[in-house]
Amino acid sequence: MTNNKWRRLLAIVLCAAAVLLLVTGIIELPRRTGRAGQDVLDDARIQALLSVTGESVVESYVAIAKKEAQERVRAGGGSMNDIREAVEKAEQETREKYTGESTDLSQIDTASLRAATNAYMNALDEYGSLETAARAQYIEEHYAEAQAALEEKHRAMLEAGQEIPENDAVVVDMSGFVPTPEMLAAEAAADNAYLAVGDAISLIYPVLDKDSVMTLKDSVRGMLYQSDDDFSSQFDRYVEQGRAKRTFSAYLLRHADDLIYTAIALLVAAALLLYSEWLISKLGIPRVIIGLFFIILCFMTLLYDLSLPTLLSNTVVRMGMNAVMVLAIVPGIQCGISLNLGLPIGLVAGLLGGLMTIEFGIPGWGGFLFAILVGVVIAAVCGYLYAQLLNRLKGEEMSVTTYVGFSVVSLMCIAWLVLPFTSLKLRWPLGTGLRNTIGLDSGNFRHILNDWGAFNIGSFYVPTGLLLFMALCCFLVWLFSRSKTGVAMQAVGNNPRFAEAAGLNVNKMRVIGTMLSTVLGAVGILVYSQSYGFMQLYTAPRQMGFIAASAILIGGASTSRCKISHVLIGTFLFQGVLTLGMPVANVLVPGSTISETLRILISNGIILYALTKSGGASRA
Amino acid sequence: MRKDFDFRSILRNNAVTIMFVLLCIICLSYSGQTVPYVMYELFGRLSRNAFIVLALILPIVAGMGINFAITIGAMAAQIAALWVVEWGIGGLGGFGVAAFMTVPIAAFFGYLIGNLLNRMKGQEMIGGLILGYFANGLYQLLFLFIFGNLIPLKAPGLVIKGSTGVANTIDLSTERGFKYALDGLWKVPFGTGLYITCGAVAVVAVVMLLLKKMSKKKAIITVGIAAASCLLYQIPFVASLFSMVQVPMVTFMVVGLLCLFNVGLMNTRLGQQFRAVGQNRTVANASGINVDRTRLIAIMISTVLAGWGQLIFVQNMGSFQTYGAHEQVGLYAGAAILVGGASIRKANNAQALLGCILFHLLFIVAPSAGKNLFGDAAIGEYFRVFISYGVIALALVMHAWRGVQKKKKAKAESQ
Repeated sequence: MTNNKWRRLLAIVLCAAAVLLLVTGIIELPRRTGRAGQDVLDDARIQALLSVTGESVVESYVAIAKKEAQERVRAGGGSMNDIREAVEKAEQETREKYTGESTDLSQIDTASLRAATNAYMNALDEYGSLETAARAQYIEEHYAEAQAALEEKHRAMLEAGQEIPENDAVVVDMSGFVPTPEMLAAEAAADNAYLAVGDAISLIYPVLDKDSVMTLKDSVRGMLYQSDDDFSSQFDRYVEQGRAKRTFSAYLLRHADDLIYTAIALLVAAALLLYSEWLISKLGIPRVIIGLFFIILCFMTLLYDLSLPTLLSNTVVRMGMNAVMVLAIVPGIQCGISLNLGLPIGLVAGLLGGLMTIEFGIPGWGGFLFAILVGVVIAAVCGYLYAQLLNRLKGEEMSVTTYVGFSVVSLMCIAWLVLPFTSLKLRWPLGTGLRNTIGLDSGNFRHILNDWGAFNIGSFYVPTGLLLFMALCCFLVWLFSRSKTGVAMQAVGNNPRFAEAAGLNVNKMRVIGTMLSTVLGAVGILVYSQSYGFMQLYTAPRQMGFIAASAILIGGASTSRCKISHVLIGTFLFQGVLTLGMPVANVLVPGSTISETLRILISNGIILYALTKSGGASRA
Repeated sequence: MRKDFDFRSILRNNAVTIMFVLLCIICLSYSGQTVPYVMYELFGRLSRNAFIVLALILPIVAGMGINFAITIGAMAAQIAALWVVEWGIGGLGGFGVAAFMTVPIAAFFGYLIGNLLNRMKGQEMIGGLILGYFANGLYQLLFLFIFGNLIPLKAPGLVIKGSTGVANTIDLSTERGFKYALDGLWKVPFGTGLYITCGAVAVVAVVMLLLKKMSKKKAIITVGIAAASCLLYQIPFVASLFSMVQVPMVTFMVVGLLCLFNVGLMNTRLGQQFRAVGQNRTVANASGINVDRTRLIAIMISTVLAGWGQLIFVQNMGSFQTYGAHEQVGLYAGAAILVGGASIRKANNAQALLGCILFHLLFIVAPSAGKNLFGDAAIGEYFRVFISYGVIALALVMHAWRGVQKKKKAKAESQ
């Protein structure tokens, strides 16, 4: 009882805090674009400007002091050594005197500087928008050319026996870009505006002459204006440059959006706290943890100003590319062979189909369908044999499937070395065997599902074809599980003895389920490869069975029960955590592999949890 | 009583071992490597791998199958090794401290592993495998983000500037490390080692005979074998085969001690409990044995032994891959013991040692045989990985197959 009371109290406190933050955030956010935001930015900007120019003021003073000291000693008839010492001393003293003095805005009349700077900013803004438009137009005109060049480069690399880097994107060469006349005019106007700024600075720091003001032009410009600036990025840059004290109100304005995000997060936390028991009993602890983790990651991407829509869009793409492989686990569980960790058998069958498409050079949709067809046929044969093996060892499937899968993958490693493929896209031109990763291009089935009817909503990319294909596969599996055979198969999986007594052929049903699982694995790896843009051979398929199994477990399945919804939820959550985790981890610990560690922990942790729940906890 | 010499049942029960012997002979003949070189390599590999294979016996006897979670014991040893290098305790002292430190760490890990495996009875092997992967994630967290960041490391070479976490390789060959701490203590040519071993065996046999702990016949056979092997070595051809071998006596003595420990433990009350639990948990529970506790102890001992085994391994290698040295430990040790004729329910010292010899023999000759047969050394590399996985898969299939057969038989008899 008291526990419950405390929880309720805590939830109320959280809600109150959330409401407070929400109201503050909502009041502050619109003020950014208004008068207040303008003032805050102006202050910070002037401070930064004075600080940047102030550094060269110190240099000027130092130069003057050095000169004076030199003349003084020379007049006194000192030796070269004395002169050197005196100069050094003067430099040191002057530096100490002027460095670290923060400029106090209230004591300087900055009105003229403000006016000049604002004029300069407007000129820069105009120039910037012109430049962006011109560059975008240039890229649009030359994109096809650059794409062709990249494919030509890849072909040359293949012939030279190099691997195609996996993150090679089309980059338009900007060296041929010529500024338009409008841009030149705008630039001249901006330069004129800078003269006024320079004059205003000279008024404040008389020691800076015209020449030194002109040498500062580039750094001042870089500090004041950058393309795609918004309130937050400008404010952050000025504060960093200006070493100014952050006033509370300015700070509040800067983080108004973060306040709103935090408020929503707190509300979610309060709701979760209130319904925690219900959630845990309904979903189980691991799913609650992973779901929470996903929500936390969403808020962290917002707080770190990462693009959440882009990341969610990536999540959806990765969900689509993995979903069919995860779906392949379903018939296995339904027919009673538990988690089919021998999925790599299906995966290598699919890869073989893909390799044949490239070998025969079948382009486009025909090639993709051919790959699926070949993969399905091979997978069906292998799946049948595999099912015969599993039928002879009922009850011990999991560890056997794992090691059979591992064995097949390492056997295929030898096969990739000796199979008689001849295409240079597949083989190393020197040395034996197939390449480690085989790059797909527009001549094959790269992104063939992803790009079919794809469109953008803002920065959210919707891979229509991929999602439709995923839905189609799910629907077919669902339809099958409703058919007479499907129902019989589930009966066998649920209770083999009862099914046998009811006159069902247990072995036959298990063969059907295993074959279906293997076949779906073959289709799944092709869907994965076309989205990834590469086919990975050798040891790459070894862990994929684990990834697929853990995804469906995260979605809510157990080792003996599952639904299609588990596939979709689990794949989304698992891929979401991985996709969002990487950029967030890179902000926290730059250049780390923590995202990979995360994958290892989540995927294996959930399988362990499922194993502990699959019975066997009895004392004897 | 004369045992029936049933050729077929021997063939069936030792199929894996016999197949492996044949495979080794084929690979050896195609590898083009000389026997002295192979022997030299083999003894090196035996000295560093035998201990960890022997660590697998207890859990098998206790009915938990092959303990693939020994990778976690190896991780414990590597944590200890890292700190010994950090503190700069070199040589035998460093090895001793590392071995001492390994005990509490590995025992703690073993406690956690055992408790988890007790919650998944019947699924221990897959559970141990996945637990090993899971622990690898935690290990990476520890070595990438805690050691070297939150807990600073000062020793040179442990942390590389500009990258996060502990360096990829930890070098034990400097004066801070303990390379050859155990191997280098007493190293003799093969002949000397053989004489010493045979002499010791003969003396022990005679003493045992005098104490009436051994039958006369057994003692005579033991002394006879020792004498015969010494005599055999007198033939120049046989001696020439071992001409390159240098035997690290202390390391092999430690392995011998572990064999004695395994045998001795089986004769204690605890050993009987292991066996009872391994044969039938229900019966063991009914006869008053705390099944969970017994299994827990077996896993804890196995984990600590695996940690020591990994220390022996790394002191021989002289350095280790911080993030990879432990990964394949469970696979190779598990495959080795199965090759020797053990099943996932039965194992003894002889099987472990024989398996270790055969498995590593194949490891030595497979790459060059692959190169000579197919023109590519990579084929041999992949072949031995395939063999490792394949042997385990085969053992599991055969075990499961036998279980199903037995059930069928029982069913047929009861009807």
